[in-house]
Formats: sequence, C-alpha cells, structure tokens
Amino acid sequence: MDEQFNFKKKYRIILLIAIAASVMVAVTSILISNPGASRVWANVLLNNQFFLGLSLGAAFFMAVHRLGLSGWHTVLQRLPDAMTTFLPLAFILMLLIYFGMHDLFIWSDNNGTDKVIEGKKMWLNIPFFFIRLVIYFIGWIVLTWLMRKNSNAMMTSTDLKFDNRRKLFAGLFLVFYAITVSTSSWDWIMSLDARWYSTVFGWYVLIGMFVTSLAFIILLIWLLKRLGYLKYIRTDHIHDMAILLFSFSIFWTYLWFSQYELIWYGHLPEETSYYIERVHYFKAIFFINLGINFLVPFFGLITFKSKRKMGWVAIIAAIVFAGHWLDYWLMIMPAAAGEKAGIGVLEICMTIIYASLFIFIVLRSLSKGPIIVKNDPYLEESLTYES
Amino acid sequence: MRTSNYISIFFDDEVPLLQAVGKLRENDLSIIDVLSPFPVHGLDEALEIKRSRIPVVGFIFGALGAVLAFGFQAWVFTVSYPLIIGGKPFFSAPAFIPITFEMTVLFSGLAMVAAFLIRSRLKPEIRFESVNERVTDDRFVILVAAQDVESTLKKVKSLLEGIRTIEIS
Repeated sequence: MDEQFNFKKKYRIILLIAIAASVMVAVTSILISNPGASRVWANVLLNNQFFLGLSLGAAFFMAVHRLGLSGWHTVLQRLPDAMTTFLPLAFILMLLIYFGMHDLFIWSDNNGTDKVIEGKKMWLNIPFFFIRLVIYFIGWIVLTWLMRKNSNAMMTSTDLKFDNRRKLFAGLFLVFYAITVSTSSWDWIMSLDARWYSTVFGWYVLIGMFVTSLAFIILLIWLLKRLGYLKYIRTDHIHDMAILLFSFSIFWTYLWFSQYELIWYGHLPEETSYYIERVHYFKAIFFINLGINFLVPFFGLITFKSKRKMGWVAIIAAIVFAGHWLDYWLMIMPAAAGEKAGIGVLEICMTIIYASLFIFIVLRSLSKGPIIVKNDPYLEESLTYES
Repeated sequence: MRTSNYISIFFDDEVPLLQAVGKLRENDLSIIDVLSPFPVHGLDEALEIKRSRIPVVGFIFGALGAVLAFGFQAWVFTVSYPLIIGGKPFFSAPAFIPITFEMTVLFSGLAMVAAFLIRSRLKPEIRFESVNERVTDDRFVILVAAQDVESTLKKVKSLLEGIRTIEIS
C-alpha cells in the first residue's frame, strides 16, 4: 500500500542527457539549415500547446471522474494528478511567445490594410492577448493545485471534507476549463489563420487534448509497470482506460468530420482556405493524421481481448499519442511556417526536449508521495473493481 | 408438501449476492439461474458463463450496413441518376459519410436485438411466471437446484450464515 515511486538518479540523468543532446542538435540544425524564425517559433508554440494539452487533458480526466463520483480510477489517480504539475512551467514557456508574436501571428502587426483582420481587432490585439493568457493560466494552475492538494491531503488525514472540497474544485475547474479551452484555442491556434474561423474548433481541440492525455496515462502505466511499480493497477483498470481511448478516438473523428464536412459542403472561400492550405501542400500528412487517429484505435481496440493486453494497449496508445502530435502539427505548422513547414530534425529535437522536461516533472511529482492515496473513500471500490 | 425442485434465496444487494454465488459454487450446489434487476458486474465470471457473441453479430452487420449504404449512394449518384449538387463531383465521398454512419448503427443495432431474441428463443406468445415480482425492482434471487428440498435447504442455510440474505425458501 505504501509503495512509492523512487525517482532514481539514473532516470534523472537519462532525461537530462536527452534534453542536453536535443538542445545541441536543435541549435546545430538551426545554424546549419536556417529554417527561418517563423518555423522555430512555430515549433515552440506547437510543443507548448501539445504538452499544455497533456496537462489540461489530465486535469479534465480527474475533474470528470471526481464530479461523476467514479470509483474505478482511484488507484491510478496520482498519475493524472502528477501530469497537471507541468502547468506552471507551461505558463512560462507560453509567455516566451511574446518574443515571437510577429513571426507567428499575422494579426499582430496589421497596419489596417486587411479589413477582415481589422474587424477582429477588438479580440485580436497584443495587450488583450496576454491578459487572457495570464487569466487562463492562473485559473488552471490554481484550480488544479487545489484539486491536487485536497486529494493528496487524504494520504495522511481521514477527514471527508477533503473529498467534498476536491469535488467542488473539480466542478469549478470544469466550468472554467470549458470556456477557456475554447478561447485559448482560438488565441493560440485558430488565430494563426487570422481570416479563418470554425465554430467547432474549441471542442475539437478539447477532445484532442483528452485523447492525448489518455494515451499518455496508458503509456505512463506501462512504463511504471515495467519498472516494477503499480501492482494494484490490474487488467480491469487497463481495460477501462482502453475503452476510454477507443471511444474518445471515435468522438475525435466525429468532430474532425463535423468540421471538415460543413466547410467542404458550404464551399465558402473564407472557410475553405484552412483546408486548401493543408490538403494542397501536406496531403500525405493530412490523411495519415486521420488514419492513425481513427483507424488504428478503432480496429486495434475493437475486441474485448485486445483491450485487456497491457502491451498491445500501450502500442496503440503510443501510435495515437504520435498521431495527435501530428494533428497539432497540422493545425499550427502550415499556418505559421507556410510552405516551408516540414517534419525534420528540428521538430523531433524540440519534441524530445519538451517530452523529457514533461516526463521529468511528472515523475518528480509522483515520487513525492505514495502512489496510492490510502484514505481515499473510493479506494476499496477501485481495488476490487471488475470492468 | 412443496412441488418445486428448486429453492430460492433472496438478497437486497449485489455484494452479498456475489459472495453467496461464490460460496454455493465452491460447495457443488448447482445454480439454475440468478435473477437481478440490473446487470451485476462480475456475476458472469462468478457463474462461469461464456462471453456473449452478440458483439460479433453487431460488427458483421455494422460492416454490412456500411458497405451497403456507401455502395448504394455511390451507385445512385454515379450510375443510376447522376445529379450535380452544389457543383460537387458525382462521386463525393464526404457527402455519403453521414448516411453510411447512420446505416452502420441501424444495421448493427437491429441485428443485435434480432440475434438476442432468436438466441434466447423469445417470441410474442411466451409467458414467464416470475419467481417474485420484486426481482424487477430491488430484489436479487439465486435459484438453486434441489433433488431433496429439505436437506438442500438445511445445507444452504448453514452455508450462507454470515451473508446477508432476506429469505431462503
């Protein structure tokens, strides 16, 4: 019961070496191939958004389960909780894009010649952009911190008030998140194509975040089980994670198609510009994205037995994880870097830097207490859970 | 003198029900059936009932529905009655997807209901006599086969001591 993750020096050194090596390779590749400022900044934005999405998706997972009085997830609750500790760093990294505003967002230095962008000036201007950014992050950081704090308080205390409090904060988080995930995705992704708009975009990003986090939680379970931890997470819990991954991948496809179909059918120039940009220049990636985020989890996890094999579920989760990185790539890169966008050494190194940082923070946070919160009122239900 | 060759054990919760099923099976009493107002998690495994094959029916008919719907629309709009709609090509796959999706769900759902009815041999004239009306509301019942009712009753009662039952008869 008191099993605690030991974040050994060996793991830290591996992660730090990965970061250092990737930084060096990335810098060299920038110096050699000179990809242009907008591509470098687009990389920063892409990974900010992707790993921020992992944290927020994990917080969404926790909030939904706590508000729904779910019992099954209690043995694994500290993994998503640990994932939300990345948010403060994500805040700092997101503030960095202040220096790349003009390379990323065409609306940021519009001098009044573009009438469409001029009309959106009330929302799209630099001061308000950063005011919103600060509000989003403060809300997310404070609410996830309160949820996590009250949950972890039950490691030592048996007071039920902590459970009630974390439910309250889960509810507040969901309301705040539902609004801010839409507006933040307009700010950081949709406004890259400043003339374009899509009303379903916020949902699409939200579900993308959630699926990515599910995939990452599965990968984390797999990794920690390989290292000999988490013996209380049984096949039944894996099964439920796989069901969630399966069904929300289908839901992601539903939203992908909702957006595509209406724009394709309506055929209005201000809407189709988004897809023309992507289907024309990045046709292969465009269809690979749909294929690996829908067909792989759909056929890979459709049978009962496939959802109960840890190794197999982890393989599918890894593919979906990479697939959603590609999905963000498609949303951000073609708009920010234009035809020069590509997937090269720079993209891979930047992702490794962010991923190592993320894993480092998650594992460090996880190592601070026992993996099982032993006074959680739902623990018994979770330990004996049968799916 | 009772005529039935089974005894029924009543519960008001699923947890003692599952405990009792395990205990009865350990002691080689044969359970005819377990009646419950809702599906109990873990009951199928406790009774060692094989997994239902209804999902397979669902998949096959769903796939059939998808192929039929897509094929039919493709045939209508390219061969049978080509119309230009919204300036799109005759063969416009995105426009066929919503109907394909609906037909997949419809075929799969109806086929699963039909397969269930056929497999369980349910038809309109069948009438069941319920063991107890309350199994449709808040009671759980285990029916245990009994050659000799009196001795089985005694055995069951002694076995289930400590498990919360409502009635054993």
